[in-house]
Amino acid sequence: MAKEKTIRVKVNGSERRATVEVRRNLADFLREDLELTGTHLGCEHGVCGACTVLVDGEAVRSCLMLAVQAEGHEVTTVEGLTTPDGEPGPLQQAFWDNHGMQCGFCTPGMICATAALLRENPHPTAEQIRERLSGNLCRCTGYQDIIASVLAAAAEDK
Amino acid sequence: MSAFAAIGKSARRVEGREKVTGTATYVADVHPRGAACARLVLSPYAHARIKSVELSAALQVPGVIAAFSGKDIGGAEILAIDEVYFAGEAVAVVVGETEAAAEDGADAVQVDYEPLPVVSDPIAAMKPDSPLTRAAQGESHDDAGAHGAAVGGAGTGRPKPRNVNQMVEFQRGDLAKGFAEADVVLEDTYRVARVHQGYMETQGSVAERAPGGGFTVWTTTQAAFGARDETAKFLGIPAHEVNVIPTQVGGGFGGKFVLVEPLAAALARRVRRPVRVILDRTQDFLVSHPAPGAVIRMKMGAKKDGTLTALEAELVFDAGCAPGAPTGIAALLLGGTYRCPNLDIVGYEVLTHKVSPGAYRAPGAPQAYYALESHMSRLADQLGLDPIEFRLKNAAKEGDIRPDGRPWPRIGLIECLEAARAHPMWRDRKKLGADEGVGVAVGGWGGGTEPATGGCRVNPDGSLTVQVGSVDITGVNTTFALIAAEVFGLPVEQVQIATNDTDHAPYAGASGGSKTTYTVGAAVLAAAQEARSQVIEMAADRLEAAPSDLDIADGRVFVKGAPNRGVTIGELARLANRFGSRYKPLHGQGRAAVHTASPGFAVQLCQTKVDRGSGMPRITGYVAVQDVGRALNPAEVIGQIRGGAVQGIGRALFEAMEHDEGGQLANATLADYTMPTAADIPDIEVVLIEVPSELGPFGAKGVGEPPAVPGAAAVVNAVEAAVGVRVKNVPIKPEVILDALEEGGKR
Ligand code: FES
Ligand code: FES
Repeated sequence: MAKEKTIRVKVNGSERRATVEVRRNLADFLREDLELTGTHLGCEHGVCGACTVLVDGEAVRSCLMLAVQAEGHEVTTVEGLTTPDGEPGPLQQAFWDNHGMQCGFCTPGMICATAALLRENPHPTAEQIRERLSGNLCRCTGYQDIIASVLAAAAEDK
Repeated sequence: MSAFAAIGKSARRVEGREKVTGTATYVADVHPRGAACARLVLSPYAHARIKSVELSAALQVPGVIAAFSGKDIGGAEILAIDEVYFAGEAVAVVVGETEAAAEDGADAVQVDYEPLPVVSDPIAAMKPDSPLTRAAQGESHDDAGAHGAAVGGAGTGRPKPRNVNQMVEFQRGDLAKGFAEADVVLEDTYRVARVHQGYMETQGSVAERAPGGGFTVWTTTQAAFGARDETAKFLGIPAHEVNVIPTQVGGGFGGKFVLVEPLAAALARRVRRPVRVILDRTQDFLVSHPAPGAVIRMKMGAKKDGTLTALEAELVFDAGCAPGAPTGIAALLLGGTYRCPNLDIVGYEVLTHKVSPGAYRAPGAPQAYYALESHMSRLADQLGLDPIEFRLKNAAKEGDIRPDGRPWPRIGLIECLEAARAHPMWRDRKKLGADEGVGVAVGGWGGGTEPATGGCRVNPDGSLTVQVGSVDITGVNTTFALIAAEVFGLPVEQVQIATNDTDHAPYAGASGGSKTTYTVGAAVLAAAQEARSQVIEMAADRLEAAPSDLDIADGRVFVKGAPNRGVTIGELARLANRFGSRYKPLHGQGRAAVHTASPGFAVQLCQTKVDRGSGMPRITGYVAVQDVGRALNPAEVIGQIRGGAVQGIGRALFEAMEHDEGGQLANATLADYTMPTAADIPDIEVVLIEVPSELGPFGAKGVGEPPAVPGAAAVVNAVEAAVGVRVKNVPIKPEVILDALEEGGKR
């Protein structure tokens, strides 16, 4: 039977302890064990970016990382980017106001990838955004309104 | 028309909050208590006899609850029983406590196959010595009804080649005479790859027994009622015993109608537990129904002045292992877009050993227009005419007869072409630098229809709740909110949309065929209008005024000319929802059966620069012109057009489901099936043309499908303009361009 391990991870600001199978990936841990289903799985292969979360502020594909590797780290999912009372946070608001989603499936990954991008580069150009988000697939929008959402979020954040 | 209060102003998504905060529920997020997980066992052979399915080893795997072969579950529609007809066809299913247990169990299933001869290529399948596919039988369940185009055409006694399921033929005039009159005749063959819808959320369903009998099915579908009916039919129970709860749909594009719903329910019945059937990406690629590839031979003739004289075309659609390719739709669009007195079009729906295709954004149209629009640009070149002028000279307009004899209604093709001609990208195209050029292409879609109902409840807080049975995939709920808001003069925030499950929803057809706003929107409009009349009638009683003297603004009904005499909508609703009240509740219902479609046209301009080192074209600019009738929610209409255009560009540059001769799909992952990323695509300028439909709500036409049509031809026409190389097959292989450049295909 699969090996298990107990881990401690800070998720969206709260300390979580859980016993997980060693082979369980971070995405499944977040989605199934913690019921944080905002993190989506589009490929489980590291290609689509839908599962992007922040680990210590860096964008990480949670389908490629094992839950046990998150031990001792700080994980932020799309649910963790709201205001403290659960209203859309500024980045989320920018995506909503600027039509940065259609079906919404890629959106949590896009928003997390954007959070990491803006942390490194608070005022990116459209071209830099296109380059950086090229690891996040969206089939609905043709990307332009996503780029506009990121630019709007960056402009808000003077 | 007078100015609108809500219509035509961009509104953000009504469901945006849940989508940006991660609280929206997609099907994989549904975990009923005690749910088990199912995993399919897929055939590695494209054609084989199933000799035996041995499940005992799978049942030994820890955590496995049950395992079934096709025979056990009974119903070849969901699991093959005796024979498999494509690689990836499901032959067994394993149910486990966890996804991992089910997967280990599926790996342990032993199936003994006797491989049979395979034919994967449709042209090879038509040869007399080809292996036979599944007996070409049964009538075609062409999606034409749902998508609003006719199929058929009279037979002319052409022989039906081997493995052809259905033939369509359209003829007019005298072809030989037409070619004799032509100054230029051009003939060539074009190939369009089989492509996948590429929705980011894979397909899946979750089912459980309902406490009162029957089944509850959560699913990612464009067609809740269709999924209900198919599931009930498979289970052999009445439709009302299945309740389909549509989840958020993570992209559909025609690909999500019914897939694993019946299986999920059948398994829930057998294992007496809720069951989740969530496909992983590779399984989705293998078992879902993509867009068919096509081979299209074109021969067209035109006079020096650009008048078309003859069009001959032979379309071969690869239907995979079951009927359903959109051959008829493709033939009609191909022969109907330009006026041509002499026509001979034949379409073959050919069966091969691949999964059968389904709908993908304008089924049949991207294939047809790829061939037609490549050919039109080349003909213009040979005639020395401007490609847009040449198209304008022949473009169909209201009253022109389509190949099946039906006249076009008022369409906006000419307006779109004129707007493209006036665009700076087109006007300044000759000023571009080396290896850069602009191509143009047209695309069209007939538009679908299907009856629908909607409800509109007036709430005590003065807001409206609109109830529908259609699924929102690209913002239609927001459009419905705008429609109801417009009728009542309310801000759009005052309208909630309830997408109900099939137990509770007013009936609506599938969200597909570019018809949701057009038909369900019409029902919502009628419902809101009825609710408004009820409000006026009740207010007239309260205010002791004639209904015709009343008006509504800012959530209040008042007497015209005496605005102080009024009552709020909320007050009326409170009165009507009160114990002992003499007023009936305020609740409008609307029904619509718009059965005349409003076809939509798009014209796209692509600017590309070809890299001489790699042969790869880079898209440097893009313009998408489209007649949308009326843009009810411009931001969303524009977004949908951009998304469609990018799918067209994907067909041109990257996308192909690659099958080898043995029928194996070589690229069943997102790593290998390449789709456009943000870095591949420039900004896309959208030009909206509004030639209002007489039937759609506020003049709206279907928007979703036309923008996905012209892309492939626009890109290859741009490549020719850039470096003088004509690409015939899409997706473009850069090596083909490189070779041609080397062979002196310079300008
Ligand atoms: S699910 Fe992780 S990258 Fe696609
Ligand atoms: S909004 Fe649908 S995939 Fe991006």
